[in-house]
Amino acid sequence: MKIKQITNEKLGETVFCAKHSSGLEIRVMPKAGYSSAYAVFGVKYGSIDTAVKNDKGNFETIPEGTAHFLEHKLFESEDLNAFERFAKTGASANAYTSFEKTAYLFKGSENIGESLEILLDFVQNPYFTQQTVEKEQGIIGQEIRMYQDLPDWQVMFNLLRALYSDHPVRIDIAGTQDSIAKIDADLLYRLYKEFYNPSNMVLSVVGAIEPQEVFDIVDRCIKSFEGKAAERKFVKESPQPVQSYIEEKLSVAQKQFLLGFKENLSEPLLSLEDEIASQMMLEAIAGKSSPLFKKLLDEELIDMGFGGELFNGFGFSCVMLGGTSKDPEKACSIIRDEFSRCKAEGIDSVAFERAKRKFYGRYVMSYNDIDDTANLMMNLHFNGYEPFAELEACKGITLEKAQKRLEEIKDEASALSVIIPIE
Amino acid sequence: MPQVRMLADRVRLVSEQTDRFKTGRISVSIALPMNDMAAANSLLIYLLKRSCKEYPDFSLLNGKLDELYGAAVSAGVTKIGEAQVLTLSMTCLDDRFALTDESIAEQCAQLLASMIFKPNCKCGSFGADNLATEKRLLIQRIEEELNDKRTYAFNKCIEYMCAKEAYGRDKYGTIEEINAVKMADVYAAWKNLLSTAIFQITVTGSADAEKIAGIFEMQFKKIERNPIVPETVFILRGGHFNRYEETFPVNQGKLVIGFRAGMQHSRDNIHAVTVMNDIFGMGTYSKLFMNVREKLSLAYYCWSRLVASKGIVLVEGGIDTDKEKKASAEILSQLSDLRNGKTDPEVLESSKRSLKERYTFTTPEGICSWYASQLLQDEIITPEDMVSGVETVTMEQVCEAAKKLSIDTIYMLKAQEAAADEN
Repeated sequence: MKIKQITNEKLGETVFCAKHSSGLEIRVMPKAGYSSAYAVFGVKYGSIDTAVKNDKGNFETIPEGTAHFLEHKLFESEDLNAFERFAKTGASANAYTSFEKTAYLFKGSENIGESLEILLDFVQNPYFTQQTVEKEQGIIGQEIRMYQDLPDWQVMFNLLRALYSDHPVRIDIAGTQDSIAKIDADLLYRLYKEFYNPSNMVLSVVGAIEPQEVFDIVDRCIKSFEGKAAERKFVKESPQPVQSYIEEKLSVAQKQFLLGFKENLSEPLLSLEDEIASQMMLEAIAGKSSPLFKKLLDEELIDMGFGGELFNGFGFSCVMLGGTSKDPEKACSIIRDEFSRCKAEGIDSVAFERAKRKFYGRYVMSYNDIDDTANLMMNLHFNGYEPFAELEACKGITLEKAQKRLEEIKDEASALSVIIPIE
Repeated sequence: MPQVRMLADRVRLVSEQTDRFKTGRISVSIALPMNDMAAANSLLIYLLKRSCKEYPDFSLLNGKLDELYGAAVSAGVTKIGEAQVLTLSMTCLDDRFALTDESIAEQCAQLLASMIFKPNCKCGSFGADNLATEKRLLIQRIEEELNDKRTYAFNKCIEYMCAKEAYGRDKYGTIEEINAVKMADVYAAWKNLLSTAIFQITVTGSADAEKIAGIFEMQFKKIERNPIVPETVFILRGGHFNRYEETFPVNQGKLVIGFRAGMQHSRDNIHAVTVMNDIFGMGTYSKLFMNVREKLSLAYYCWSRLVASKGIVLVEGGIDTDKEKKASAEILSQLSDLRNGKTDPEVLESSKRSLKERYTFTTPEGICSWYASQLLQDEIITPEDMVSGVETVTMEQVCEAAKKLSIDTIYMLKAQEAAADEN
């Protein structure tokens, strides 16, 4: 394996990068003074992957929620399940599924090499039967119900459904009771074969471990050399939202809202610079030290939880702002006015510099945490970036770039999602 | 081993010096008896977080924090046993990463000290508008506890179970109490806090703890201290058994079972009780995970939580409302197995390994909160002390600890089927 070292002098951190002959990408950041390590084994297969390319080269639709279902099922095997195996090393193991990926992980301070072998092994060895699939339908069914009662979750997915007509970002990560009922063992095996091949995966390890040990374990444990990176479908969206307003009644105390502005994408992915420039722009305009935040708070239209963020991925990008409010419409009208004003008069340069300093600080801080760092390196790889790319990009953001990103926020591409208390 | 310095009567600084992290953390924990002043105390801590004499408004203070590389300040109210604990914490970039030659940590300590000792308060007033805003936000915070039914149900069970104890009170005070708070009450709460509360300042990072100690010590010199140590009542057994229920228009029901753990103080038999609770329902090898979730598919989550500071254990699960009997029967049957030694010896070892991992903290926040939670203890124990204790626990001790668990209260949040159908 050819190993490349990438060092960031300011941080004092080095990442060892390699591509295994199977196609698996590996990132290792050893950390002095740490007694634990965190490893994440990620697959580029998330809830937005609702279509697979068949032999004829056409995309074929698959049920919603398969990536998440597989995530649950991979922990099982014919004899000891993955949890039981990790219990012997003491490591705490977990997994999660997001819009764009599935990740399996552990954190441990002893027997780290052994835990890493278990991680690589269980993810490579699927075992499903009709009986275990049915059992999981019950558990995931309860998970779906739990999320249906969470207003933060619902306000966001309702917004995504209002903004996107075709893109699968509009569907729930776990799917629905109906869609998971369509999942059986055969389908899971087929999708496993489609997505879980090393060319579609990355292993990222941070903490108390030597890079060479990781590379040796990968050499020993990666069995499959078949397959290629799965192709993701770029679902083009119309610039307009499906509807400009959506509401749902839930058992909550106060109204909650999320205002979203959909970006018209010509390419599936934003550049890292654009992404960070948008985040800084939002911080400068709507962050806690902004006049907008103060005005909304003084008029009793928000609470301290109010905030904005860019939400983006393969084929989707939107700016979201929201929180709790007694009058979401009024809060949104003030937010829209402030965007218009900043477009006309320009973003306040002092506020921008403050936001930039804050982001620089927060990026550096994120390297504290072995969990965050390992996940960050995985995400950067999936989006085609090298380690530390975000720190470099951060330095290059100018007020002009932030202003340009602000211009992408269009009123006609917006939707408002509101959760209303059941009387 | 952390360094401990006494700065004044019942005011101590606990510091763990390390350059492992990219951030530093300073946390000020303030303990008061849980009584009728709870509402005024809660409002006070949020008022102190808003501003100080030097940065007399919310936007100015947040602007300063952004300049300090995105230093984050947080305020919180918790209960440790029957003490109300107010916390004001800051996380900041470690001095090594500052772009200029400055000590960020000392500036943050200075800022924290200003917020506590030199608040934006003129002639006994924190500003009528500020108080009104914080009242609104605090009431909203309490009302919003309803939004997350899991936490709501958990708190509700405690409220019923400890109705006759101070622990049954809302940590923030009630909405009525908050509404009734006058400016003079907040001012009195501030004076009372400075003179009578138990303080602990917990510091992690590379900053010079001596200097931080000096900053706070100087402030305490000006204050006449008459500390009051809050006491907690421990009830050994649940005498009468009560069940309460409420119905909400939600999809998933929430079952919470409250037990008395038979503890006489917060460190009574703590190692055995910790292992027992872990085997009962914390880890993936635990009885509740293996049976209620994995075997019977009744829940996505079902675990037990130990609140050592009050000597209680709560089991919670998200289930279908009509499965309450089945779920509680299974939970109690698992407890009975635990009492009768029907536990695989390997599970005891798994639990010890896993607990050891959980006491290996990898973030400044983790280390800080471990020590901060001990503010009412005379003797400080390290995570390593805890691990050594846990390692000596035998299966017999686990069974004995389980036998001391006695059921006290069941709270069931029922899902209203009709409403669920509407969605």
